[in-house]
Formats: sequence, structure tokens, C-alpha cells
Amino acid sequence: MLNIKDLHVSVGDKEIVKGLNLEIKAGETHAIMGLNGAGKSTLAAAIAGRDDYEVTSGSIEFGGKDMLALEPHERVGEGLFLGFQYPVEIPGVSNLNFLRTALNSVRKYRGEAEMSAAEFMKLVREKAKALNMDPEMLKRFVNVGFSGGEKKRNEMVQMAVLDPKLAILDETDSGLDIDALKTVAEGINTQRRKDTAILLITHYQRLLSYVQPDVVHVMIDGRIVKSGGKELALELEEKGYADVA
Amino acid sequence: MQDELTTGYSAQAAALKGTVPGADDLRAQAMTDFGTHGFPHARAEDWRYSDLKALRANVYAPAEAPEAMPTIPASMGDTAARFVFVNGRYQEDLSDLGDLWQAASIRPLANHFTSNAARLDELVRGEDGVSLLNTALLRDGMVISVPAGVEVDDPVEIVHVMTEAAGRAAHLRHVIELGEGAKLSVFERFIGDDSAYWQNIILQARIAEGANLGHIRLQEEGASALHTAKVYANVDAVGEYRCANMTAGGKMARFEAHVRLLGEEAHATVDGVALTATGQVHDTLTHVNHVVPFATSDQIFRTVADARGKTSFAGKVTVAKDAQKTAADQSFKALVFDRTAEANAKPELEIFADDVKCSHGATVGELDAKAIFYLTSRGIDPVTARRMLVEAFTAGALERVAFDEIRDAMMDRIGTWMATRADRAIPEVREA
Repeated sequence: MLNIKDLHVSVGDKEIVKGLNLEIKAGETHAIMGLNGAGKSTLAAAIAGRDDYEVTSGSIEFGGKDMLALEPHERVGEGLFLGFQYPVEIPGVSNLNFLRTALNSVRKYRGEAEMSAAEFMKLVREKAKALNMDPEMLKRFVNVGFSGGEKKRNEMVQMAVLDPKLAILDETDSGLDIDALKTVAEGINTQRRKDTAILLITHYQRLLSYVQPDVVHVMIDGRIVKSGGKELALELEEKGYADVA
Repeated sequence: MQDELTTGYSAQAAALKGTVPGADDLRAQAMTDFGTHGFPHARAEDWRYSDLKALRANVYAPAEAPEAMPTIPASMGDTAARFVFVNGRYQEDLSDLGDLWQAASIRPLANHFTSNAARLDELVRGEDGVSLLNTALLRDGMVISVPAGVEVDDPVEIVHVMTEAAGRAAHLRHVIELGEGAKLSVFERFIGDDSAYWQNIILQARIAEGANLGHIRLQEEGASALHTAKVYANVDAVGEYRCANMTAGGKMARFEAHVRLLGEEAHATVDGVALTATGQVHDTLTHVNHVVPFATSDQIFRTVADARGKTSFAGKVTVAKDAQKTAADQSFKALVFDRTAEANAKPELEIFADDVKCSHGATVGELDAKAIFYLTSRGIDPVTARRMLVEAFTAGALERVAFDEIRDAMMDRIGTWMATRADRAIPEVREA
């Protein structure tokens, strides 16, 4: 589903990702672990197509398509989703308006008809309920005044509504208390299906107790230096990055 | 040039003698004052952002009836009445008095003073060349008087159209009078073709105790137009003046609101949105004068300027020595699409009382690149993302528009305006 070959990404003059290879198949959940500055978030941003993250060489293929040739919103249309480490506050835009515009944009990209207001409300209420989100929060401005946990929960609602083929979740577990962590993990597990894939980016093992990955990668200095099963995460937690790598 | 202007406009004033019975002396006086003052100097503090070059260089002839009557746009929602002015003249055929005539007195300005000579004193004479000329060249306008206790729910729409009027001007004067406890909403629209005309208009309102005037303006003049507008509102105790202005059209447009809160617990809101495209100059000036204690005012202005657009806001609040317990707020925010756009803000508090609550804030910024990426990362294309952010930015200044159809139409204008600059406003992402 996702195929990254010899990827190099620079921010400004600085190369952050230095020749990374990664393949994720449908039905799989992968975790990339690494310390701050290893290039994990840069990798996520490059896959999503953020403007100033320059791919200097290598390729990103998703569903057989060259992602680097597509704009960020088109990549979402193809079925990609990036959960943010720091979700952005957007005063003046309500969560509902945001979700509805997003969903209909994606449907339009796929040549599908817009969803009616009633159908949309039903869908959103259902997804919000499954993630224990107070329906009142749907009426509020996007992430404005939300706690850290509420923001991450909101990311999960967006993911559930857009129903991506591949969700890349960048430090979605950071700053969450145990209840919020469980809710987020539940959201991720609901999204795990035979036809979807998940890429978790984290530097703690904590989330992986609730969302068990099929493959764990260790990222150091812009490269994946080791891959293994879910036991690799535990090993990392125990011995630290220096010893494992 | 001043001599030519004075001579030219004096001749126009002389030709209008008798058209507004009772007003000839007033006209002559204003003309004399115009001769003395001329147009405001480019360096005059209140006028430094308005471009009056065209006014200083040309004598604008009086606008005349066009060869072809323009199409008048449909109303936005229900109206209590509809008055149409084309090239500065009232068009009875195109207007609709609705039910308003049963509730209120409606007179053309020309008849206003024939039976009310005393009313002449109430006419604002003007304090600069632009408003003095409006007085000197008085001819047409609508006088609406709502008796005490009468509430008119639907808005009264006044449509101003300018067409085939290159080098010509209209000087309109509307007078609104609300009796005690009366209620009225006036929705003014301004449209025009591409001819380089000058629309110079004054609306003056007297709002008696407990009365309530809503005033909505949608200015979409033609691309070459010069638009100068002033509002003078005097508000008595517990009375309210609520203004929402959208400035979008014209090559150079200036809107002034002068509000005097003359009775305790009088309240004014003066809000506005300006959409300033490439090459346009939009200037807004407000002056809210708290004369007595316990009056309140609140102003929200949002302006968006595209490349090489120039937009400015000067908001002055005066609190008299006796006006204790005044509460006055003012918020001005500008969004510029790049460094060539210009947004000027000049909030000014002039407070002589010591027990007041006054605040003001002014910011100028660019669209938030992180917010744009967030929206696009959810599948929303960048053009729509920018439109959503601009709509969100401006919406707060239109929230107090009490009529959904009008507010929606104004929000639509913002969406359309953004759609025409789809390729603009792509800021660089800067790392936090």
C-alpha cells in the first residue's frame, strides 16, 4: 500500500531524512519509534506533503500512485490521513463545518456525490459517540479551547469520518492521560481492517500496549536502523535506543 | 485649481436654486464655506489615507438620467419598503413603498422643508469640502420619520445605482428620524457601472429615547468609482444605533460614521468589513462620542487587503468629562495577502472622565500557513481553505447583522471575492 524508497527530506538547508525505506501492506500496523530529532515527524510531514519539507530524492508511492506528484489535499483524496502531534486551532471555523467541508472535498476528489446534511450529521454523531466526544464540541471552533486530550480525540473523529486507507499518527499519544489514551487507542483499533493500514509514530512504548503493531521500526538520524516484531518496542523501552540499535 | 472648483461648483449650486424649497440660504452658505476650505489637504491627519486627487483635479458635473435604465437587483429577503435612486435621483417607478407609508412618514428631501422650515437647522452642514459640497448641492434623498412607539420589523432597502456617469457626481442626503421607542432598519446598497463617477452621500439620523435604528450598508460601487459616505447619528437615552458596513467596491471609497451618544444608556455598535483588492483604496473613519454617563459602544472591524490594496481604519472614541461609567470597546484586525498590501490602523481614545471602561485592539497579520496546511491535510483544497479562513476572520464583524438573508449575502460576497483571487495568498509555512 505504501512504498517509500531511499527517501531524502530537507528542511531549509538541513537534511533530516537520509535515505529511508519503508513498505506497509494493507492490513498492517507499523510503528516507527525514535528519539526527538530522529526525523519521525519530518517523515510524516513529507508523506502528507507539507510545503517546506523538500524531498530531495527518493520516492513515495501510495496505492500505486506517486504521492510526490500530488498536492496535500489530493493525497487525502487518495486515502491518506495525517494525525497531528499539535492539532491547529482555527477560530471562526466550526468543527462541523470543517468536517463536512473535508468529507465532501474528499468525496468530490473521488467523483462521489456530496453527502446530504442529514446523512452527514448522522455519520458525525455516530463517530463522535463511539469516541466519547460530547456532541456540543462539534459545534465549537476547531480545537479552540480544547484540552490536549480533546484535541487528540478530535483528530480521531476526523480520521473516523474520513475513513482513510492509511492513517499516519504522529505522536498521537503524547500528552494524554490514561483514559484519553485508551479512547484514542480504541479509535485506532476501530480503523484497523484488512483493507487499511496504520503507521504510528511515537517515542514511547505506552500506546503500543493498546494498539499492538505488526512491525516496529527504530529510526535514528534519518534512517530506519532496525525492524522487528512488537517485542522490539519492549526491548527499546528496557534497554534504550543506543543498545538496541 | 481651487478657483476653478469653486467657480464650477458655485454654478452648479446656483442652478439648483429652488429645487429644495427653503434650503437656498443653507446651500449658499455651504458653498461659501467650500470656497474657503476647499477639499481636505492630503496631509490632513484624518484624510491622509484617502486619495482625493480626482476630486482636486476635476469639477464633477451633476449626474443626469441615463439613456438606459439599469437593471435593479432583487431584494435580499422581505422588505418594508424599497427606494431606488439612479444617478442621484429618486425613481418612483422602480421603488416600492410597501406598507411603510402606513407606519411612517416618507417624503422626498425636496418637500421636507416646505412645511417644516425649522427642520433646516437640523440638517448637518458638513465640516470639510466633501460634506460641504453635499450640502451645497442638495437635491434629492429620502426623509423617513417613524412616529413614537412604531416598530418596523423588515428592513427598508435603499438602492443607489450609478450608471453612464463618467465625470459626474450625485450628492444624496437621507434623513432618518425615529420617535421615542420607534424601531427601524435601513439597508443601503451601492452599485454602479465602470464609469468614473463620484457618489457623495450623507445619511443623518436622530434616534429618540428608547428608539432603535439598524443600519446596514453594502458598498459594491463600480471599479472606477469614487465613493464618499458619511453617517451622522445622534442617539438619545436608552436608544440604539447599530451599524454594519461592508466596503467592497470603488477605486477609492471612504466611509465615516459619526455617532453621538447624547442620553444615558444609549448604545452604539459600529461594525464593518472591507475587502480591498489590488489597486483599491478603502478608508474607514469612525468617531463615537460619549457625551453623557452610562452609554456604551462597541466596534468590530475586519479588513482584508490583496496585493497593492490600501486599507485603513481610524477609530476615535471621545468620552466627555461627565460621561462616567462609559463602556467602549473597539477591535480592528486586518489580514494582508502579501507585503505590498497596506493596512493602517489608528485607534484613538480621547478620555476626559476618570471612571470608564474603554479598550481597543488593532492587529495586522497574514493568513496562518499552519491553519491552511491543517485544512488541506484533511482533503480541503487550498483555495477553499483560504476562503474558509477569510470567512472565519471576517464573520465576527457581520454577526450583528440582524437579517439572515442580508448577512448570508454579505458572507457570499466574501466567498466570491476570495474565489476571484484563487491563486493569491499562499504564505510560506514558518516553523513555530
